[in-house]
Amino acid sequence: MLAFAARRLAVSLGLVWVVASLVFLVIHLIPGDPAELLLSQGGIAPDPAAVEDLRERLGLNQPLWTQYVAYMGGLLQGDFGLSLQDEHPIGEEIALRLPRTLELVGAAGVISLLFGLPLGVLAALRAGGMLDRALSAWAGLALSIPVFVVGTLTVLVLAQELRLVSAGGYVPLARDPARHLALLLMPAGTIAVGLGAVVFRVTRTAVLEVLERDHVRAAQARGVAPRTIIRRHVVRNALTPVVTVVALHLGSLLGGTVLVEFVFNWPGLSGYLVRAVEARDYPEVMGIVLVISALFVLLNFLVDLLYAVIDPRVRHG
Amino acid sequence: MRRISLRSLALPGALVAAIVLLAIAAPLLPLPDPVRQDVANRLARPSLMHWLGQDEYGRDVLSRIVWGARVSLSVAFAAALMAAAVGTLAGILGGYFRGMVELVTVRVAEVVLCFPPLLLALLVVTLMGPGAGTLVFSLAILFAPGFARVAYAETLSARALDYVTAQEALGARTGRILFRTLLPNIAPPLIVQFSLTVASAMVLESGLSFLGLGVVPPSPSWGLMIRGARASMEQAPLLLFWPCLALTGTVLVLNLFCDRLRDVLDPRGKAAGRPGFLRRLVALPPAAARPASVTPGLLAMEGLTLEVPSPAGPVQVVRDVSFQLAPGETLAIVGESGSGKTLTGLAVMGLLPAAVRPTAGRILFTGRDGQVVDLLRLPEPEMRRLRGRDLAMIFQDPSSSLNPLVRIGTQVAESLRAHGTTRGTRERVVALLRQVGLPDPERAADAYPHEVSGGQRQRVMIAAAIANHPRLLLADEPTTALDVTVQAQILALLAELKRAEGAMGMVFITHNLAVVNKIADRVLVMYAGEVVEEGPVAEIFAAPRHPYTRALIASMPEGDAERLTAIPGAVPQPWAMPVGCRFAPRCDAAAEACHATAPVLEDVSPGRRARCLRWKEMA
Repeated sequence: MLAFAARRLAVSLGLVWVVASLVFLVIHLIPGDPAELLLSQGGIAPDPAAVEDLRERLGLNQPLWTQYVAYMGGLLQGDFGLSLQDEHPIGEEIALRLPRTLELVGAAGVISLLFGLPLGVLAALRAGGMLDRALSAWAGLALSIPVFVVGTLTVLVLAQELRLVSAGGYVPLARDPARHLALLLMPAGTIAVGLGAVVFRVTRTAVLEVLERDHVRAAQARGVAPRTIIRRHVVRNALTPVVTVVALHLGSLLGGTVLVEFVFNWPGLSGYLVRAVEARDYPEVMGIVLVISALFVLLNFLVDLLYAVIDPRVRHG
Repeated sequence: MRRISLRSLALPGALVAAIVLLAIAAPLLPLPDPVRQDVANRLARPSLMHWLGQDEYGRDVLSRIVWGARVSLSVAFAAALMAAAVGTLAGILGGYFRGMVELVTVRVAEVVLCFPPLLLALLVVTLMGPGAGTLVFSLAILFAPGFARVAYAETLSARALDYVTAQEALGARTGRILFRTLLPNIAPPLIVQFSLTVASAMVLESGLSFLGLGVVPPSPSWGLMIRGARASMEQAPLLLFWPCLALTGTVLVLNLFCDRLRDVLDPRGKAAGRPGFLRRLVALPPAAARPASVTPGLLAMEGLTLEVPSPAGPVQVVRDVSFQLAPGETLAIVGESGSGKTLTGLAVMGLLPAAVRPTAGRILFTGRDGQVVDLLRLPEPEMRRLRGRDLAMIFQDPSSSLNPLVRIGTQVAESLRAHGTTRGTRERVVALLRQVGLPDPERAADAYPHEVSGGQRQRVMIAAAIANHPRLLLADEPTTALDVTVQAQILALLAELKRAEGAMGMVFITHNLAVVNKIADRVLVMYAGEVVEEGPVAEIFAAPRHPYTRALIASMPEGDAERLTAIPGAVPQPWAMPVGCRFAPRCDAAAEACHATAPVLEDVSPGRRARCLRWKEMA
């Protein structure tokens, strides 16, 4: 198990390095001068002196490999550079906002699994029945509502019409745990509408497939109670595809909470990214993209470990 | 099947067509200008002039919704078309040429898939600035890898097919092969991917526009309308509602269309479902009288008939099968694939697949307490108490019959725990594993199925089956999936167990007559769902009365046979049974009458039966 984990970790670290290099190259090799792009507004050519000044400041005048070494060296020390807008260290801002995004994504994942998994199993066991058809229709609808529509309508109903909660925002956990949780639940629940439907669908399909397998019939032939069969011989075997899909979605949520954070004023990493994109703050965009990609790789590493926990064949393979 | 699916496509198809037509016809419709402002009437309620009211700049909401469909759909379609063209080309080239081409096309596409989609779109917007052009471009980058992957996988499987290799052999130009032969054949999944992409592109477009990074105002877009309406949510909540409804409705219709389209074009992925898993379908009403008057020995099957539904009505797959089994006796059921022998075995266990329904017959079984029950009519909870205790079964493939994720010891222990053992389970499991000849049973109990060999897995299955000293052991081709040397060991083990458990009856289902000779007392030969001959093993081998049995024996090589191949032809399909004798088309002794009259099962001599018009001549 340990050797397996070490092997996977090495591969993951290699991937992070590749991603970091790729992000660096994309920014530096695409046609167009970042400094010029940054300073040009509304099609008016920027002042050449200002461009030259900015190039100097960003180190764009140095050879590419020097810039690369400097950037990588900085990254190794956790230095993501300074924001172009306010010269604030990017690493600090990321360290502040990242936990909030992770909390949001994690909560959404937990909520989705909490209702998607059992409902998926239930629907599969009653495949073709009324309950199954009702749940499947619901999942089809839930998957079709864009997340910002769910969010906006949630704000409209819960905050505007019913006045149950404020329309969004963020309160640190330490200051007011109850309010923190209430404010977390709205965006997390919003994400969970679609994600839960995904979990439901994958679970249902996987369980249906496992139910057809020989070992389920063999367990029936031993006289094992249906409850035990479902728990030990069906759901467990169906978990692998569910883990895959949930991880994939959580991964794309790392950068995809943009809309929900925007709707609910959740000061996470995504909002920071949108601001950076709007301001064309290259160092910021690079840093955020890099962190999210690294997290994505880390998530895949954790998923590989999880596979090994679920399936002994992976451990030994 | 296909026709039903096509009809199911009609409604979502019509709705998609209606939305697209509405978007195309927007300039022709008598709608107000969607960008003309009328600040005096901002947030006005619905009126005759403005059916859905006016927005925060006094613009007509209905007109903006219709025009918004035009913007959203054209961006989504343009992006999907671009992605489809680029992605499909990359996928086909990569799948057809492999090697370096594959590396620079498909593998690069997979790198793109590693990025969270919205993140990638934002990155492109950073580099190019917002606008409809950027939007189409970034969405195309996002979705092209999906096409590349589908096209690649399909090309890989299609390029090996005969019509492609034939074209290559004929010297057709590569371009012709790729786009005239290959492309049309891999089109269905790509069409499904296309419609999926249009739906996803709409969602992403509206999301980016909602953030203010997509379509640039004042162009009408549903995402922008929702963004705008948020500000005036308190005064005019309906303004928020209309674009939300339009967007969700369109995506829903598109998704529905995709699902149906996939069912029609690409039916492989359709899950069948198995509704009867928990509730055994007891198709027969309980018999009026308790069947205790008969003395069935251990097991007496009487006239078992099984049906499966088919497009042309129910079809009998097992017809009127009867046999008896005494305690301690071994009966072999022999037949080719499709003879109904496995279904007959599963019927005893009450584990028939959901589609198979018993329609007639009785399966009388004498339990431990001497009570006689009809297994076909026993309610599921009582049936479950018998399974694994009085009735046990070993299956054909030990590799798939053990759950790969659960330790061997746990699976064997299930047999014990399911029937009341709570203490000393571990010791019993180890003892059982030792009894079936597993080396190092302590360790084997903690091992996972993949850690032991195929033969050992079958030993584990046998250990679980005999855990509660069953009165009847059903073995369904227990050696077929194993190596020849291992087969002999497993047979020896079963023979040994029979000796140890004196009263245990066994039904041994096989297609291998050589095995029958070694293990069984009596043999039941099945053909096309019917019993064709039955009798003591020695007598049947010495003097078969049915041409089919005779042919089976003749096709038996000296050593162990893997398959019976020497009989010409194949078992007829259940829905195309011959009128007369079911074996007549393949029978070398068939006479005129054999094709016209179905023979009945006759007593040939004491303890022997045969279903042949000419059995007397067979002696």
